[in-house]
Amino acid sequence: MDQWSVELKTLTNVMLGSLQPMLMVWGPSQVTLYNDGYAAMCGNRHPDAFGQSFQSLWHDIWEDVEPIITAAYRGEGTSMDDIQFTMYRNGYPEETHFAFSYTPVRDPWGTVLGMFCACTEITTEVMTRRAEKTLRDRFMQVFELSPGGIAMLAGPEHRFEYANEEYYSMIGASRDIIGKTVAEAVSEVVRQGFIGILDSVYRTGEAFVARALPIELNRGPDGEMQRRLIDLVYQPMRNDAGAINGILVQARDVTELRAEEARQELLSHELGHRLKNQLAMVQAIAFQTLRNAPDISTARKRLSERISVLSDAHDTILEGGRGASTVRQLVDQMIILHDDPAQPRIRIVGPNLKVGSRPALSVSLILHELATNALKYGALSSPEGSIDISWRVAGNAKDRFEMEWQEVGGPPITNPSKQGSGTRLISAGLNGTINSNVKMVYEPDGLRCFITADLETFQREH
Amino acid sequence: MSTTILVVEDDGLIRMDLADTLADQGFAILEAGNADEAIEILEQTPLIHALVTDIDMPGSMNGLELARHVAEIRPDCAIAVISGRYSPSQGALPAKARFLSKPVTEEVVAHTLKALGVM
Repeated sequence: MDQWSVELKTLTNVMLGSLQPMLMVWGPSQVTLYNDGYAAMCGNRHPDAFGQSFQSLWHDIWEDVEPIITAAYRGEGTSMDDIQFTMYRNGYPEETHFAFSYTPVRDPWGTVLGMFCACTEITTEVMTRRAEKTLRDRFMQVFELSPGGIAMLAGPEHRFEYANEEYYSMIGASRDIIGKTVAEAVSEVVRQGFIGILDSVYRTGEAFVARALPIELNRGPDGEMQRRLIDLVYQPMRNDAGAINGILVQARDVTELRAEEARQELLSHELGHRLKNQLAMVQAIAFQTLRNAPDISTARKRLSERISVLSDAHDTILEGGRGASTVRQLVDQMIILHDDPAQPRIRIVGPNLKVGSRPALSVSLILHELATNALKYGALSSPEGSIDISWRVAGNAKDRFEMEWQEVGGPPITNPSKQGSGTRLISAGLNGTINSNVKMVYEPDGLRCFITADLETFQREH
Repeated sequence: MSTTILVVEDDGLIRMDLADTLADQGFAILEAGNADEAIEILEQTPLIHALVTDIDMPGSMNGLELARHVAEIRPDCAIAVISGRYSPSQGALPAKARFLSKPVTEEVVAHTLKALGVM
């Protein structure tokens, strides 16, 4: 060491006395000297590397290091906050990061004798920052993918720091809100009291939660006001010291959802009503069947047939959708049961006329009863008999529905002395209509039945 | 003289069923398919002891409105209101009226009329 220059001795003393990792590269052969702090960064290359050439120490990253050390020997210092290397200092590749400065060391005449480096390994800090960023990005992704609107407000003035896409879509996508206060960016909510609620959450630390809250937002295509319903949560956010420094806003537009719920409720109520009415109808049919049947076996058969007719009529009503069934469909349904396609004896004439669900059930039941009577006593009880069924819109104001059933060619008939249950059910008329009338005329050559009702209520869905 | 009941129901089958049930119990029955027909009958019939009416019917007024009208012009007439759709609040019905939910049974109708003082 007696032969060491003053510069070398002085810097060696500085280096060995420092807790910060330090390194010296000295002389033309670039001999490497370092302190304990730097030794820890050398991995398993220490202690062999001490006193050897700088290249032999960092051979695996020499491509990156060589330009810097060469520059230092040219007299150019280098300082970097973060340089990344992939090192094999512990026998396996590892990503490392360093902050350092390479300073040329000169003699009094300006000749570069070597390089002095103060260095800090920042690999842990870089990895921690990267993990934090990854976590933050993931949270942001969660926010962005959230089906609800999310926004973050900073400070007591409630300044927008962040808002996800759904939040923009809720308040009006074209708004520029980041950096602005809620009162500036969504000014229409001020008069609706929302700033007061935000102030209260910020002041008290108590969250605000509301369901289906009415709100007016200028969110239309041209900024026009729309009334919406939102589920809303204002949640205070705190800093590390526990002090409130912002508010997390979670909002969900439930306008359509609530409307759908209301529709479902109405539908459910309507179904309940229909079910009750139909139970009452079945009850009435059962009552009429039982009180007029000669015996229990006949009653069971007739009741079963009548309920089956109602069931088939229901299928027809449901197939086309509400309000889409027609008189022809109901007549065809009866013909399938009571006529022979090979030798048809029922002729039909009538326009394509819609019929409401309630009158549809009555039309089906009446046609069934008429056909049953025709098979037992009327035109269909003899081979020569036939039936003409026709229907039309009638009346001067075209406001009446008329249907006519005309039997011909059957055995002679007379007015029955007693009304059977079938005739009673026929005479009940068309459900749900105004001024419904059923007239049965027992003419010698066959039964004629006229069914009329107000057209508007005949076609109405109720 | 038998007790007269006016049955108002737009569903012919249910009206027929109700009318037959009440007739079997010895009442004289008048039938109407809606409130307008019922009012015509009321105008022509001085003594009607009870009104049994559905609520949801086509026409110029529904069964509740008819019940309130009858309570006003015939305060002594007993009133029973029937519906499968509505459950009217007590205030919606005339003071002494009773509500029955569809479908109604013979026993329920008989019990209700008895409770209303119709014998």
